[in-house]
Amino acid sequence: MMDAIRTEQLTKKYDLGWRKGKLLALEKLNLRVREGEVYGLLGPNGSGKSTTLKLVLDLVVPTEGSAWIFDVPCSQVESRLHVGFLPENPYFYRYLTGTETLDFYGRLCGIKSAPRKKRIDELLDLVGLGHARDRRLSGYSKGMLQRIGLAQALIHDPKLLLLDEPTAGVDPIGSKDIRDLIVRLRAMGKTVLLSSHLLAQVQDVCDRIGVLNRGQMILEGDVRALISDQRRLTITVQDLPEAARARVEEAVRAAGASILAVGHPQTTLEALFLDALRKDERGAGEHD
Amino acid sequence: MTETITAESSRRRERVGFSLQRVSVVAANTLTEAVRQKVIILFLLIGLVFIVLAVVLAQFTFGEQMKFIKDTSLGVISVITTLIAIVGTAQLLPSEVENRTIYTILAKPVRRFEFLLGKFCGGLLLVLLGMALMCVLFAAVLWVKEQGMIRELSQTYLGESPAAHLEAQQQIQQVQTEVWDVELVKALVAVLTQAALIASVTLLVSTFSTSLVFNVVVPLMVFIVGMLRGGAADMWGTHRLFMAVVAVIPDFGLFNIADEINLGKVVPWAHIGQIVAYGLGRTLVIVVAAHLLFARREI
Repeated sequence: MMDAIRTEQLTKKYDLGWRKGKLLALEKLNLRVREGEVYGLLGPNGSGKSTTLKLVLDLVVPTEGSAWIFDVPCSQVESRLHVGFLPENPYFYRYLTGTETLDFYGRLCGIKSAPRKKRIDELLDLVGLGHARDRRLSGYSKGMLQRIGLAQALIHDPKLLLLDEPTAGVDPIGSKDIRDLIVRLRAMGKTVLLSSHLLAQVQDVCDRIGVLNRGQMILEGDVRALISDQRRLTITVQDLPEAARARVEEAVRAAGASILAVGHPQTTLEALFLDALRKDERGAGEHD
Repeated sequence: MTETITAESSRRRERVGFSLQRVSVVAANTLTEAVRQKVIILFLLIGLVFIVLAVVLAQFTFGEQMKFIKDTSLGVISVITTLIAIVGTAQLLPSEVENRTIYTILAKPVRRFEFLLGKFCGGLLLVLLGMALMCVLFAAVLWVKEQGMIRELSQTYLGESPAAHLEAQQQIQQVQTEVWDVELVKALVAVLTQAALIASVTLLVSTFSTSLVFNVVVPLMVFIVGMLRGGAADMWGTHRLFMAVVAVIPDFGLFNIADEINLGKVVPWAHIGQIVAYGLGRTLVIVVAAHLLFARREI
């Protein structure tokens, strides 16, 4: 299967100005987002998440390395044919209505009039803004702006969605709506790369995650595998004879304990994330 | 396997060429946004008020009322159009970056040059719209004045001999020729070309600066230096610094043909053609330079 996003040794240094040197925002990032998966990019502020998204979208130029979207170099405009992007705290033209906003982006993508109109209706229903379609965006709440942002990202039915903090500043209900929408998009076969601080949310929707800290990928892998606590052991058995089970339970009871459940105990993604950061900081301290 | 190869090859075939349609979408949206700028509305109101005021003040002039109205109105249209071109264009790129609306646009298959050209064309449409409004009022003012003068002449010669009537007809024709002078059109063409040129200079500055004040002040200075360039040639014609200024700063003095027209001179269309060619040629070069700067700008 083709990678939706691939980066090789992707590095970005920002010039801070005369005599102030350079800021290393991203260092030799090798990222692969597979087609059809939901990939969560995690990290504290300034860790390089937004820089990664900007590099992939060619909004900033890499200092070193390269990036591809569906095998097309990101420096080419063709790489964005199948990409939808929702920036963090999106701003739109406040004098346009919801319908006009989607119409603007639809025309930018070259969608013909009749299918565009149909697509706008579909998307407004999908994001639950059908009732506010003729209202100017200046009268939209933050959650509504986030939803119209998602709709504009989806206007040309892209195969890949880049979502930068999609639930930032959105109330819990709106946040759940967006999470549900991401799950639906995955079911529709879309690839999603999202950056977020809301770890529980990432845990719920992502197949794989990558943790960035100070521009480096410090942890990456399958969410379920990463959050499994390997120090404990859960034995899942099938067709265990009653006698054997009785002996196990007897042994447990003999130790003064009772059996409540059988399964893999899991840590939380939040704990994993913070632990990874702590280890990285400690490692950096030792190097210094 | 075959399916995979087909999908691969179709993906390779996808090309995004330059699209005038995308440019027009950005331009139309830019115009919609620009007409909402309070400062632009203020400039326009000032321009419209001054054109009306010219008629009132013309009452206090001796004899040459029509000349005064035309001089003043042309001057007002030139100044206001130039200001709209500078201030309107100065905000186009910085506001997109500041409001982050540029992210969602450039994340679509839109070339940066299409975006830049769309913004520039939107700015030019704004200039054209503003100028058209002032010209409509100017024409209305001229028409009212013409009708007043014709009425006055008709009343003066009412009941007079046929010979006097003939003379009245000649005078009316003279008034009409004076009012609807084709030289005015030439002056307005020069003003519009000048506005396009100064707008391109402003666009160029705004590709590397996010400060609105800087984006207004620098083009304004370029404009002033460009206006004075012609006069300074006699004194500094061979000086290296002057030669450098000539190479970089357009000669805005060329577009000021209103003075010649006010003196009653006839400006040949060939000269207007040269001015327009110079202005549009320079505009093109500056827009290309703006594109080169904007193409790799980090957003």
